[in-house]
Amino acid sequence: MALFVAGLSHKNAPVAVRERLAVEEDKLRELLGDLQASDVLREVVVLSTCNRVEVYGVAEAPGEARALAFRHLCRQRGVDLTEVESMLYTHLDADAVRHAFRVAASLDSMMIGEPQILGQVKDAFALAQACESVGPHLHPLFSQAFNVAKRVRTETEIARHAVSVSFAAVELAKKIFDGLGGRAVLLVGAGKMSELAAKHLVEHGAFPIYVANRTWTRAQELARALAGTAVPWEELPTALASVDIVVTSTGAPEPVIRRATVMQVMHGRRGRPLFFIDIAVPRDVEAGVDGLDDVYRYDVDDLKQVVDANLRERAREAQRAETLVEREVAKFLARQGEVEVIPTIVSLRERLEEIRQGEVRKTLARLPEATPETRAAIDALSTAMINKILHAPITKLRESSRAGASRSWLELVHELFALGRRG
Amino acid sequence: MHANLINAAIIGYVVATGLALAYLVQRHDLVHRLSRLAALAGWVTHTVALVARALELGAPPLGSLPDAISVAVWVIVLLEMLIEQRTGVRVLAAFVLPVAVMLSLKATTTRPGTLAPALAGAWVWVHIALAMVGIAAFVFNFAGALMYLLQERQLKLKRPGAFYYRLPSLQTLDRLTFRTLALGFPFLTTGIVLGVMWARAAWGTTFPVDPLAFFSVLAWVIYAGTLAGRAIGGWHGRRAAYFAIVGFAALVLTLGAGLFLPGRHGS
Repeated sequence: MALFVAGLSHKNAPVAVRERLAVEEDKLRELLGDLQASDVLREVVVLSTCNRVEVYGVAEAPGEARALAFRHLCRQRGVDLTEVESMLYTHLDADAVRHAFRVAASLDSMMIGEPQILGQVKDAFALAQACESVGPHLHPLFSQAFNVAKRVRTETEIARHAVSVSFAAVELAKKIFDGLGGRAVLLVGAGKMSELAAKHLVEHGAFPIYVANRTWTRAQELARALAGTAVPWEELPTALASVDIVVTSTGAPEPVIRRATVMQVMHGRRGRPLFFIDIAVPRDVEAGVDGLDDVYRYDVDDLKQVVDANLRERAREAQRAETLVEREVAKFLARQGEVEVIPTIVSLRERLEEIRQGEVRKTLARLPEATPETRAAIDALSTAMINKILHAPITKLRESSRAGASRSWLELVHELFALGRRG
Repeated sequence: MHANLINAAIIGYVVATGLALAYLVQRHDLVHRLSRLAALAGWVTHTVALVARALELGAPPLGSLPDAISVAVWVIVLLEMLIEQRTGVRVLAAFVLPVAVMLSLKATTTRPGTLAPALAGAWVWVHIALAMVGIAAFVFNFAGALMYLLQERQLKLKRPGAFYYRLPSLQTLDRLTFRTLALGFPFLTTGIVLGVMWARAAWGTTFPVDPLAFFSVLAWVIYAGTLAGRAIGGWHGRRAAYFAIVGFAALVLTLGAGLFLPGRHGS
């Protein structure tokens, strides 16, 4: 019985292929039902997101099971199997466990640390549970994958720092201001990007919102959309004096906010910082304001730089997460291994006990005059011999299971003692 | 007994400092937890040591400058643990504990067993105790200012580095600097005033020629100026931070003068 995962993901399959294979929920139920009915797969979970389509299964013959699963999947989605076959990867046993943990922990994601994947894995598992296609192998695997994902999220900072320009701006604002609650925001220019940035700021508590635009009607429009107030273009300097964060995105060829203006504005602020998020190209805020105390100005390149730094920070944290996952895989395998060798140990004992009893019976039949003491002695002798003989192989099996290498030993024991098929 | 305990406490603080600095580089929860544990162990040992010292002297362990500094360190570590607990600013230890360690190393330089004869009476204990609490507050003032300058620099340079991720917001840091100044200043002032009154009563001069007294007044002037600047002149941020650092330097000179120069506070 082998655990495997087979599928394709953003790493090796283009979106054109992924989108054609992605399965919706009711189709997924159907697929799970079909696969179970086939008798090739003992247990199965299918994970289908926009970035990956994967089959987690338990089968005697993983190769056959994989082929069956993707034959069904391709037939259902009307895709030619030969088209995708070359893109499929397969991981077995320990590698499959590692893959499951990494996927759930968002280490295999396109954007490492993105939070959606865990929910998607949970949904896939829940659906398989509802379809009764998970059993003693996949259940512990997925439960543990969820635990590992949680540990990675809480113990590393893999998902902590912003990786988009507009979120990076929010993060920066939080490093300047003591929280964004009640911070006034002024939008200068009414572009889409500034609207998005403003929305993020509002989500984090920024309030109120002012909008200044050369076209008065457009200013009013955007102010309405953001539940803010439109400010006449001429009153820009006055507005600057009262707000904390300024998002600029005009199409003006020249800076619309000059150093001299800002310098004047800063006088009346009593040290309240002023944060410029300049998304416009060409830039709206004169770079010279950088030299003023309590003024922080980030243009698109600066924000990009912050995002890059955040990505590096994520990559560093991902390294730590990988170590954590590796340890968890080893622990999981050790536990699984111990569980796995128990049936073999039991049947080994049963088999030898069977032989022993048979032989004792035969011997005693040939010794009708034997006293009860003699009979007891023969019984004890044979039991002792079996225990002595079994001691070394059983120890070895247990050890191999802890080392995660029980499979070959189990097969060997089954062969040697003719224990029959394992299940 | 007392000396061994003090040494054990200092070892605890040194370990805690090392781990706190390591936590700046390698953000590992375990490192932070171990650092806190070492600091707590050091502090508990320190508490026992101070009690032992008080029993040995039959008086508060404030009679000599090294003893008094030891008490100041005890207050600093206690405050550090409390503030960190309350504000969740985990990197605070990395800025405060090194100062505490340096001070506590001074605390072991010399330790006369008995009190100088002039030192008797309740007022002098209050004078010393208030001055030490003031010093403890100014250690946080200094740490806050340092953190402010680092964070401000990173934000101005627009290149997020280790400190950008670890330090809290500028406004939080500026508030910490202001509050610790507002807290420490009355203690320092009262401490100095009591000292002056004591000097007149004990030595017959209002301003004894004493290096420690000189530097303490210098530090007081700097802090008073900063506080006035903040309250009236709207000082804040970088300027206030620079003054906090200069003020702390004067305070360090004050203690250094008391420890190493001959004078009425000297050992």
